[in-house]
Amino acid sequence: MAEKHFACKAEQVSAEKATIVSVNNLSVGVFKLDDGFHALLNVCPHKGAALCEGPQCGTTRETDKEEFVYDKAGELVRCAWHGWEFDIRTGEFLVDPKIRARSFPVTVEDDDLFVHI
Amino acid sequence: MFTVDCDCHNYWCSATVLEPYMEGLFKDMFVRGERTGPRGAFPHGHRPWFHPEGFARHDVQPVEEDDNYAIMKAKHLDKYNIDVAILTGDEPIEASTLANPYYADALCRAYNDYMIDYWLPKDERFWGSIVVAPQNPQLAAAEIRRLGSHPRVVQVLVSHGAARPYGDPFYHPIYEACAEMGLPFAMHLGGQGGINSTPIGAGPSTFFWETHAILPQTAMTHMASLIANGVFEKWPDLKVVIIECGVAWVPSVLWRLDANFKALRKETPWLKRLPSEYFKSNIRMSTQPLEQPENIQHLWATLEAMDGENTLMFASDYPHWDYDDITKLHIPPQWREKVLGLNALDVYTRIPRPVTMAAE
Repeated sequence: MAEKHFACKAEQVSAEKATIVSVNNLSVGVFKLDDGFHALLNVCPHKGAALCEGPQCGTTRETDKEEFVYDKAGELVRCAWHGWEFDIRTGEFLVDPKIRARSFPVTVEDDDLFVHI
Repeated sequence: MFTVDCDCHNYWCSATVLEPYMEGLFKDMFVRGERTGPRGAFPHGHRPWFHPEGFARHDVQPVEEDDNYAIMKAKHLDKYNIDVAILTGDEPIEASTLANPYYADALCRAYNDYMIDYWLPKDERFWGSIVVAPQNPQLAAAEIRRLGSHPRVVQVLVSHGAARPYGDPFYHPIYEACAEMGLPFAMHLGGQGGINSTPIGAGPSTFFWETHAILPQTAMTHMASLIANGVFEKWPDLKVVIIECGVAWVPSVLWRLDANFKALRKETPWLKRLPSEYFKSNIRMSTQPLEQPENIQHLWATLEAMDGENTLMFASDYPHWDYDDITKLHIPPQWREKVLGLNALDVYTRIPRPVTMAAE
């Protein structure tokens, strides 16, 4: 059963990049998106790198011709090492959604953010 | 076993056989103009490496034009029970080295007419490749449309030496025409001179044998380029055949392409699958010259990694010095039926399946 752990203050998290916190001895990245706060384990399922220390960004949408449609702006994190792109909300790796970064629910109480692990 | 030889060179003794198929300016240039050698030489920009022995087998010594077929029949087709020989010409792919694309195109057209006229009627086992000069893709596409519906033409052929990587959109009119005619696009080792000035990375190597071993570099470039530029998304049914460029490098390049794509797919949003998946569905490799490690298991593990059972097609390269003898082809025995014939029949769909097979 998930336990609630204090992560950080809401004001400590910007929409630009993850705030890395230590929760229950785990390194966790807390992100701020349009629809609220999200948290990912700061470990890339590819090679174990510091996933959430990579840029928070968007990418090109899959198209049927030579065009570049920028999509999901600010909704992805690119792993700090090898650049695999993960959806911050679901943890899914874009190229192969079967591979997921571990994600945790976040709740807000006043100004406090809690991660449920 | 039904056998398709995907690289059988129909030689000539002299390129003057093309004269009846040329006219006007380009015939004058062909007859009176400068060329790479004496009368009978095919005009091309030559590579800077000369084979120390000449690169035909020394037991193949035609004197008259008709000897070329007679020797091929006796020493190759009949001897090894070849059921289908895909004719790949010889010097004509060197037209890709010429700076003048109009002359190059005229030479290719003359060769294609000669091949259809002279070679195809000689033997029921013959199926033809039409050669095009890729340095002007519009002219190449027009030639593909001119002859592409000939019932015994089964592919479009160019040299693997090229002025730029074949996935470049510059070349897409060629693939459009191939797709329209339902023909595979094939590249054969060659065309390493003239305007195709970069067959070897870092600059020209020194010796012929050294160079011949590393010429597959160029094929790696083409394979990556065709996949990355989305040629197989635009023309999903197009097959690309890579001839005489080695095969054991393929898994290594695919592994590297897949790894990079996973990180940087955003550069090419038109791709919907891993590079290795496009390879398996759309690219076929001819076997010759199949690498020869001391431990055959090392080769077979590599071939398995590229799904060789389904991506390899037997080729002899008759009558060149590095000819592969089909009876000694060192592939896993359980793959032989596919690699020796069935895979080619999937690519060259104009060739009818043998009756026994069609009934299955």
